[in-house]
Amino acid sequence: MSIGGGCYPLATMATASLRLTVGRPRRGPIGTIAETLRSIYQRRRLLMYLTVARVRQDGGNSILGNFWLILDPAIQLAIYYFLVGVVLNRPQANFPLFLFAAILPWRWFTMALSSATESVRGHDKVMRQIAFPQIVLPLSAVAASTTSFFFGLIPLFSLYLVYPDRLTSWVLALPLVIGVQVLWTLPFAIMFSALNVFLRDISSLVRHGLRLGFYVSPALFSFEKIQGLLAPYPPAHLLLDLNPMAWILNAYRDLLYEGRSADWGALLVVALASIPFSLLSIYLFRRLAPSFVKVL
Amino acid sequence: MGATPPILLNNVGVRYNMRLKKKRTLRRSITQASRFDAKGHFWALRNIDLEIKDGETVAVIGGNGAGKSTLLMTLAGILAPDEGSIAVYGSIATLLHVGAGFDDELNAEENILLVGAFLGVPASAMRKKIPEIIDFAGIGDFAKSEVRTYSSGMRARLGFAVATSVNPDVLLIDEVLSTGDASFRDKARDRMLELMQKARAVVYVTHDLSSAKAFCTRSIELEGGKIIADGPARSIIDAYEKKMRGTLR
Repeated sequence: MSIGGGCYPLATMATASLRLTVGRPRRGPIGTIAETLRSIYQRRRLLMYLTVARVRQDGGNSILGNFWLILDPAIQLAIYYFLVGVVLNRPQANFPLFLFAAILPWRWFTMALSSATESVRGHDKVMRQIAFPQIVLPLSAVAASTTSFFFGLIPLFSLYLVYPDRLTSWVLALPLVIGVQVLWTLPFAIMFSALNVFLRDISSLVRHGLRLGFYVSPALFSFEKIQGLLAPYPPAHLLLDLNPMAWILNAYRDLLYEGRSADWGALLVVALASIPFSLLSIYLFRRLAPSFVKVL
Repeated sequence: MGATPPILLNNVGVRYNMRLKKKRTLRRSITQASRFDAKGHFWALRNIDLEIKDGETVAVIGGNGAGKSTLLMTLAGILAPDEGSIAVYGSIATLLHVGAGFDDELNAEENILLVGAFLGVPASAMRKKIPEIIDFAGIGDFAKSEVRTYSSGMRARLGFAVATSVNPDVLLIDEVLSTGDASFRDKARDRMLELMQKARAVVYVTHDLSSAKAFCTRSIELEGGKIIADGPARSIIDAYEKKMRGTLR
């Protein structure tokens, strides 16, 4: 809570039995981030309930219910397979697996960001009723899309029944890549959710940005192919090199399709680079949070 | 000095940035020019000094747009003051919008736990309260059905039952007695009185002046974002009623 006028001594006069619930003095950036992280830990149950509710929403009112969690990515794969594999005739050996290894994580990224962007705005009623750490809203959106990503792994691994030679023990390294992707999803999710409260345009921009990102990431084509295509255009090539999702998708494909070690050095750099963004996004969110209710 | 009061406000001001809110033109047209500062911020509350002591039940009265709801939201920690300082001690329960926080896809029990989690009540404590809440709300057979299948009355009753299931030190109420049908209204009224008696401090925003006179020990009148009267409930409310009748004529 922000307090003007430097009237801090109030906080020290707490009645012995009761703790100060409203009116804590504002802290510096590090204190703010630490306090926010603590509040997330304290409300981990809220995070869990919100996530469950959100996952259920997707399957909610339908006959097939939660089976859609598996069906949805499978249908998407079929469409892209038809589009790129059959219509554009760009055959890669074992093309469905090649495609799915990158499309599934990209789908996760898209779902996480688009639902997180709307998450704060969509909870305006409860925010006007109860004071709670609103940062759990974008976090639960990310957690829900992560759950549906895990369900998407079922059709992905089913593909190994068709292409058993492609299955190697490198698959076991998948959690590392998934972890790096979470690290990069969080700061964007937190930042967009806060900004979208003030600028409705953010959600449209995110939608179009993600569509563009899909084509400049190695989702439909191989990393090498895009690198080759962009080589004559240095600025575009730089954009590809700076795109963390390009490295992450490439790592998925290495593990799941090529059956070889990923570029762990690059992934480590990508992972470390996410940390300042995460801290910045948390700080930004916390500073903007007191104004959310005033704007909504 | 004695014990710290549960609620202490010192020169509190809350402003809205009208460039971010779309209501600018409408609000400007109302004769409230004095509430805008040089930068075009609308001060919903300004220079509020208020101390609420242990055991006080305070009715907040005033016309529309006087700042009553903003005051409650500030006390609840939902809005942060833009100037001055605020201190509220102890657990807080808010009855502002009944039923907020429910998720349509969850059933009654799950929603009770969800709202409990929003409030920061531990899950174990909340789980113990489930039968009582469902019983009070009269949900019965619907306890295992998703809230989206509920009638609006059932929703409101469940919302009220959850919100009043806690024993707060500080109770903030924004006119919720008009929930549900007549028999539930009586039950709700009893529950509210019980909570008001247990709480250390109650702030009650209402237009129902007779109930305010009956329940409250003290009353403050807000106008244009400022406290213009403060004193024993009966005399303040009587004076307010007289003033209202005067303006009607």
